This record gives sequence, structure tokens and C-alpha cells, in this order.
Amino acid sequence: MPRATIPKARLVAALGRDLSDADLGDLLWPTKAEFDGSDGGSLTVETTADRIDLLTESGLALALAPRTGGAHGLVPISAGTWSGPSPEFLVDPSVAPLRPAIAGVVVTAPEGRPLDAGLLDEAIRFQELLHATYGGDRKRASLGIYPADRFQFPVRYEMRPIDGVRFVPLDGTEEVDGRRFLDTHPLALRYGPYGVSGDRMLVLADGEDRILSLPPILNSRTAGEARPGDSRLLIESTGSTVARVRETVGLQSLVFVANGWSVVPVTVAGPGAVGGAADVVAHRRLDLSLGLLDSLSGRTYTVPEGEHLLAECRFGAHPVPGGFSVLVPPWRPDLLTAVDVAEDVILARGVRAEDGVVPPSPTRGRRRSETLFRRNVAELLLGLGFAELYTPMLVGATIDGLLAPTGAIAVANPVSELFAHVRNRLLPSLLTSLSHNVRHAYPQRFGEVGPVVVRDTSSETGARTAYKAGALVAAERAGFADGAALLDYLMATTGATGVREPIELPGTIRGRAARVRLAGEAVGEVAEVHPSVLAELRVPVPVVWAELDLSALWPLVRRADAD
Amino acid sequence: MAPVPRPMPPEPEEPDDAAPPIELSLSGPERSVLGALRATGAMAVEEDALPALTGLALEAVRGALQRLRSKGLAVVEEEHREELRVSARGELARSNGLPERRLLRALAARSTPMGPEDVASEGLEGEARSAAIGILRRRGFLAEGIPFRLRDGHPDPAKPFPEELALDAIHAGGPAPEAAAVKDLRRRGLIDVDHRSTKRWQPSEEGRRAVLLDDATLVGSLSTVSLRDGSWRGREFRPYDVRAAVPYVTGARPHRYAAWLREFEEILIGLGFEQSEGPLLETEFWNSDVLFMPQHHPARSIHDVFGVVGVDGKLPPPELLERVAAVHEGRPLPGEATPITPGWGAAYDPEVARRLVLRSQTTSVSARYLAAHPKPPFRMFSLDRNFRVEAIDATHAIDFTQCEGIIGGEGVSLRDLVGIFRELAEAIGIRDLRIRPSYFPFTEPSVEGYVKHPRLGWIEIFPGGMFRPEVLRPLGVDVPVAAWGIGVMRLAMVSLGVSDIRELFEDDLDRLTGGAR
Repeated sequence: MPRATIPKARLVAALGRDLSDADLGDLLWPTKAEFDGSDGGSLTVETTADRIDLLTESGLALALAPRTGGAHGLVPISAGTWSGPSPEFLVDPSVAPLRPAIAGVVVTAPEGRPLDAGLLDEAIRFQELLHATYGGDRKRASLGIYPADRFQFPVRYEMRPIDGVRFVPLDGTEEVDGRRFLDTHPLALRYGPYGVSGDRMLVLADGEDRILSLPPILNSRTAGEARPGDSRLLIESTGSTVARVRETVGLQSLVFVANGWSVVPVTVAGPGAVGGAADVVAHRRLDLSLGLLDSLSGRTYTVPEGEHLLAECRFGAHPVPGGFSVLVPPWRPDLLTAVDVAEDVILARGVRAEDGVVPPSPTRGRRRSETLFRRNVAELLLGLGFAELYTPMLVGATIDGLLAPTGAIAVANPVSELFAHVRNRLLPSLLTSLSHNVRHAYPQRFGEVGPVVVRDTSSETGARTAYKAGALVAAERAGFADGAALLDYLMATTGATGVREPIELPGTIRGRAARVRLAGEAVGEVAEVHPSVLAELRVPVPVVWAELDLSALWPLVRRADAD
Repeated sequence: MAPVPRPMPPEPEEPDDAAPPIELSLSGPERSVLGALRATGAMAVEEDALPALTGLALEAVRGALQRLRSKGLAVVEEEHREELRVSARGELARSNGLPERRLLRALAARSTPMGPEDVASEGLEGEARSAAIGILRRRGFLAEGIPFRLRDGHPDPAKPFPEELALDAIHAGGPAPEAAAVKDLRRRGLIDVDHRSTKRWQPSEEGRRAVLLDDATLVGSLSTVSLRDGSWRGREFRPYDVRAAVPYVTGARPHRYAAWLREFEEILIGLGFEQSEGPLLETEFWNSDVLFMPQHHPARSIHDVFGVVGVDGKLPPPELLERVAAVHEGRPLPGEATPITPGWGAAYDPEVARRLVLRSQTTSVSARYLAAHPKPPFRMFSLDRNFRVEAIDATHAIDFTQCEGIIGGEGVSLRDLVGIFRELAEAIGIRDLRIRPSYFPFTEPSVEGYVKHPRLGWIEIFPGGMFRPEVLRPLGVDVPVAAWGIGVMRLAMVSLGVSDIRELFEDDLDRLTGGAR
């Protein structure tokens, strides 16, 4: 889950009251945020993926205010005033193949309260969090914050020849050229591919052609560095889709709107413009019916209760026939439809375990007949003295290699070599367990009924899941006959008699391996495990293995009336 | 590795009047070995010599000796010694000459001093070179300084060094003349030391007095042959030491986690749920897309799901694919005028849809079930494995079991979901259950039930919610559906009192058989 570390002092200041760790834990329990510990003056908070707004102190304070005696209802977004050239992005068509979308707002500080270090720090922290989450590590969207008092609109968004770009990086003191920047700066090495195409790179430049930033990499120091004392800032986002850049601007604006800053949208214009601007940071309207609230929650809501709860959720609500017209803030992109608003209301009221009901079931419970068949086989193995195993399905590359070629499907991104293949037999899992028990005396008998995945090109997924019953006997005189007798017995309990045919199986002794067929279908395998395998596993006694394919056997032995 | 023997039972503290004469308790091998020991008179016999004297295998001899000793009929003396042996390096040194001899030969053969490179060209480098120079200097062969040259008045180079004499003596199997030389050879790895012990046995006083009965007098194991021919008649049965250790016998017990899963399955069936199953290797369509998870959702990145190599997936039926694509893109469903959702604001990619992953949630089984059975009412469950990329620790496994369930029908609500959580928790003996908000892309509202583990504290176990319209409408379902995907492994941990999820895969025979081994 996404998490952030925020300064406790700023949260306390925003809430207007101090909180102990226990208080904070209790306050957050009924929300989607979770308190994950404190360290000196910092708090760590974790949230679900849809509530990134709670990972900044301003957003968290907004959400908690109703519970701590603070404000309710919709946070107003005041429209600021603007003088001078209209805040505008002029978008060149050259950006379209790479990063076509841009959105932005200009935020203005309240009178006498310009940007301070704490607010700037919060904005930058939140910006990086948004990069990592909504921005897909800047691939889908990336944000920039700029001192709107110290550059001129319109801001041009275009591709420029790399060789012609010169700027002072935000973290530098000297001017560098674009090529050297791309080749050496750590952020450029990581994010450069998103902003470079051939010999050209994305540039945001102001009306006097000063470079503000090289999206999505880094702002410039000269014209693009926001500092404490600034009263007006540009928040912009570039990315692959209009929806995503608008979401990120909406979220980033939370930090400022929550602190009383006003907002003016930046118009997106020019021949390469996609999407509009006017409502990029504005409340949205969603209609919520009481009927939906009642049906989702299973409880009845009244209009006053609904209004109160909507206000607690920091929404604006206006009763209409049958429900409410609800205004939601721009930093809540998770609110897609009425059910999302309904969820907030339901969760604000609280969901308690004791409120659950268990109505009579209109259906009859039923286990699949095939499942019962598998359980019966598992019990037979138990009765024959095979210790029951429940083993992982992902098996190690080493053991798979001892039995290779197995045809097992390889995992593309295994967490380790120990879990590199999806087993297509139980044998590697059984042998792994055997190798874990070499310190115990023999004989040892293991058995398992479990799933495997076998290749099947006719299947929708290129494979099918099968259930097998596998067993190992590790004993001084264990031999082929023991395994074959086991398979004969298991099949006999279903009324079936299979036919054995010799096969060669890697990892087994040649001439001591067989496939079992029933009505021409392969339903089982039995073999003595090769001593070279046993030596690798340090097993000092002979081992015989038998495995019955229950999924292949079931259709051949099931009753006609079974499901 | 040899099995660990169980300890011998303790000796009785008082004479046991019920015990038969000790001679009757002797087995055939014990009588043979005791006889061989007595035959040598007063001399003790080496253990290794007894197989030849008795005709028994060494293992049988050793077993008999231990039993005779435990019965007080034989005593043992053990001698430990060191045997010197020329190592492989030592043999090389013998055939080529010790490094100091080689250097001395080279110096004697030259009229000019030798520089370091000349020494190296004689095959003397590193440790060998240092040893050679040091020894020759100490013995007065080398003049000071480099290049190396013989000192005036040096000793006779033809005289063997003590180390050479020692090495030859050890090779010949005789005693080495000089302890100092032996020490040096050991330090230089030119000889090895084998530690050997010799056991010498002789009968005790009681062993000398014991009467050795023959096989004709005693009956050992009863057999079908002796029963049939009556050869047991007229003979004594050799008594066994009934207090002696016997071989292990173990049975098989159900795997406790597998058994717990079977019990949990019964509870769900008892609540009216019908079982369903789905493929473990799934397309992204069923694993994620149909559940309204945006194709660019972080949980679908390579950090969370396992991909596979060398297998191709197929797309679902075109009509279903189009309906799911429509909700993702915020378009109206086919045949409708208005979108049901703004969607995710990005184009839907069918190539992502047919990618294969190891199923990361059994919710895909619910989706397949609903697609096949869109008409209510339904109560369905699936108790099966899933796979996620995780850092494996006490509460996270990459191969984990999930219990998926859905309840669908008119009037089904969040209260029904919470009611099922409570019912399931109580059925397995858990009373402390708390509900708090959660998030899943496919349910709204979404909640998570927490239960209390005695050591781990509150842990989330019951995630669930009401399926979104974006999930239900493309599947043709027009009633509310509550859904959950319970992490049953954590539930099992609470129920079974286990603190580490990895213990649920236990395969140690001791634990599997209940510690009877």
C-alpha cells in the first residue's frame, strides 16, 4: 500500500489540536488510512491505493477535521484574479507522439501568507508520491511546480533539438547543454526516455523563452525554482492521457487549496492542444440516490443523516428528489460514479461486525463430485500410511533440472531459483519434501493430492489445471512393485484396472518406469527414482514414486449422474 | 546418514528374579562371538579380526559385541593412535625434490648467482620459493642478499636433509627419525595424520563362565515351517530382552493445514455455497480486466503478479471482450446510449488482455462463474491457490490459498457480506472481528475484516465488498453481488495457533506424524 512520512507538527497545526499516537491510530481506524508508527517528529501513514490524498498532512487534516471538531462540508475552491497575459499553455504538435497531454493551474497565496518552507516541502513530497503512484513513475504523468511571479505566460510546450537546449538544472549551479544533461544527470538517465525522441527533447519554456523545465525530468533553477516567499505558483502536469494529467493536477492542488490558496486554470491552446482547461481544478457533480445507499448498505438512510454524512466526507450535498446532488473535490479522482460516493457515506457511518446478517440461503450447498473423488483418494493414501503433504506448487530450478526435461512452465519473474517453475507433476514437490527429511529414519512414505499445471495448446490459457495423487516410498527395499501396486489399488477402488506400458522418464531408472493407461488414456506414472537424483538430494535409500492423474481418471470412472 | 538410534532402556536397579538365565538370552551371533573371544585364551582380540574368526559380517559382529557388553559378558579396551602418511603434495616433493633441494641443485649447477626470475624459472614460486630460501639460509647454504648464491664454506649439499629422511621413512611405513622434521613436514602439508582407534575385546569373568548353548536347544523366531513340522517341540524358546528398544513404527496423519481446509470447505457448504473451480494459469482478461482493474494498475505490474514463459493465451469471446473494453474506456455498453462509468480514461489493449499470469486472486473464478450463471440467486465459493510476488515472511507467501465467495440476488447488501464474515469467523472459533474500510478496484463499498491473532495482533483476513456495476453489467448480471476473497492461510494461522505462514507447508516427518518418530 502507498505510504508517506509526514511531519507531525504540520498535521497538528492543520488540525488545530495535538494528537498522541494512540489518538491518531483510533482516528484513522475507520478511514482508509492507517497509522504505521512515529519517529521523533514524523508520522508514517499508509493508505489504500485510491486515497492518495490522505498521504499529505493537508489532505489528512481535511479528512480528519470533522472527527476532531473541525470543519465539515466541501472545501471551497476560490477562483483567483489574474492580470497580465492569460495563463496559457501553447502546445506544439511535436509533443503528440511522446507526451501529448498537459494541464495546469496557477495558485495564488492568501493575503499575507506567501509560500513557506513547510508548505513547499509538503508540495514537493506529495509531488514525488504522485509521480510514483498516479504517474506510474513519471511514465504516465509528471508534475512541476514553478514560480509564476518570475516567468511570463504563455508557456510553450514543445520538442526542441537537444543540442540547442541549455539550462541550469534545479540541483545545479552551472548551465549545461541538453546532451550533457541527458548523458550524465541521474534523473535524466532514469526518465530521459520519456522526454526524448531522436535528437529532440521536451521543453517547457516561458513567454521570454526561458526554460522552465525539461519534462518529465527536472525544473530549471533560473526560472523554474519555487522558493519560500513566492505568492503565485504554476502547477502543471504532462503525460500520456488527458485524464491522468488532470487527476494529478487536481491532487497536487489539494496542498494549496487546503491552505487557502486560490486557483486559476491554465488554458491549453496551440495546434497540439488536447483537452480543455476550465474545470481542471473544480468540483464535480455526482448524483446519489437514497435507494442506492440503502441497497448497498442494507440499511435505511434519511435525508438529514445523508446530508450530515456527506458533509463529514467533505462533500457538498444538496437534497433533490430521491437523493442528493453531490459536489466532490478534484483531489478525489477515485470517485467515478455514484457507488463511490455511496461508499464514502456508508463507511463514514461505520460498518460493524455485529450489524451483519446471515439470511437463509436460497441455494443448497454442494461440493463438486470431482472434489469428493479427490478427497477419497487422499484418505486412501492416508490409510496406507502415506504422510499427507501440502506443498508449494512452484518448484526449484535445481530439482526441476534433476528431472529435466519435464515440460514444466517456467515463471518469467521468479522471486528466487527455489520457485522458478510451475510443477506439472507432484514428483518434484515430493522429492523436495523427502530431501527435507534425510535426518529422519527410514522407511518414509509421503503422499499428496494436489494441483499441477500442464501445457495444453487447445486451452484458452495454453495450459490446464490438473489434480494428481502422488506418493513416494523411501525404504531399504523400495522398488517398482511397491509403486505399481499402489496405483493398481487406487484404481481398483474406482472399479478400474489400468494397463502398464514401459516409458522412459528423466530422473528415473531406465527399464523401471511405466505409464498407466485406462481406455487408452494416460492416467498414471510409476518409476524408481534414479540414484543420481537421490545422491543430489542425499537420500540414502531407494525411492519409488507413483502418481495418478485424477483429472484424467475422473471422466473415465465417474458415475453418469455426477456433475 | 545413519538413523539416530533410540537410547537403550535403563538397567534395572535390583536383580530381576523373573529374568531367565543369561545364557538363554544369547542369540546365535552373540554365542559365536563370545565363543571366538574365549577361544583366544587370555589375549584380547581386535574387533576387525572377529569376522574372520566367526564367519559373520563386521556389522553383525559389532552388534553382537555391544549386546554382550551390555549383558556384562564382554569388556573392551580402546587404543587411539596417529598414523603418518605422505600426502599428495608430499609424494610430488619426493619425486621432484623438496623445494630447498631443488634450489640447492640449481645453485650448485650454476657458476653465477640466481636472480628472482631465475628462481621462478626453476618452478619455485610463492610459498615453495619462500620456504626454499628460508631453509637454505637457516642451514647456512645461502649468502646474504639477492641475487642468490652459495655461501662460502656452505655445508655438504649431498647430505640428505632431515625432512627428506623423514619423508622417505614415512613413505616406507617406518618410524620417522626426527620429531622436528615431522613437525615441519606437517606444517608444510607434505604429510597427513590419520587418527585411528583399535578396539580389543575379551570376555568378562562372567562371559568366561557362561554356558554356550547350541541352536539345537533353543528356538529363536517361530516360523510357519516350525509350526508346521513341530520342530519347536522339546526345545526351549530363547527369551528376548523385553525391555530392549524396538524399531520405530509410525502411521500417517492428515496434514493439519489440508485438514483445516477441508473443514473450512464443510462450513461453506453448510452455509449453502456451491463449489466452483477455475484455472491456475489465467489470462489477464479474467484475472484483472473483467474485474475493472485498469490495465495500468500498479498491482498488475511485474512487481505483483507472476508471468510465465513459452505459453500463449487466447482472448475471450468477442462480445464479452467488447463489453469489458467499453467500460474500461468509458463508452456505452453495446446497445445502450449512456456510459455507465467514465472508465479509466485510457484505451483498452486486447494484447494485455490475453497475456498469461499465474492467477493472483480467485475473484477470477467468481467472474467466470457469473459469466456462466448470470441469473440469481447464487452462493458460490472457491477454495484454491493463488500466486503473488511477495517478500516471503511470517505473514506473506507467494503460493497462498484464498477463499473466494459471492452471494448474489435481490436485496443482497453489505450487511450480508459482513454477516458471512462473522459466521465464518465464529465457525472456526474466532470471536474478535472488526471491520474497516478498504479498497479493491472491483468492489464498492469495500471493507476488510480484521481478526485478532494472539501474537501478531490484528491481522486483515476478510476482504470484500459489493461488485461494482462495471463488473456486473458486462457479465449480464443485474442484481447486487457481494464478494469476498478471504486470505484463509492467515485465518488458519489464527485458528491453528501458528505464527509463521510457512509452517502451513510443513513437511517435517516428526510434525506430520505427530512426533512419534
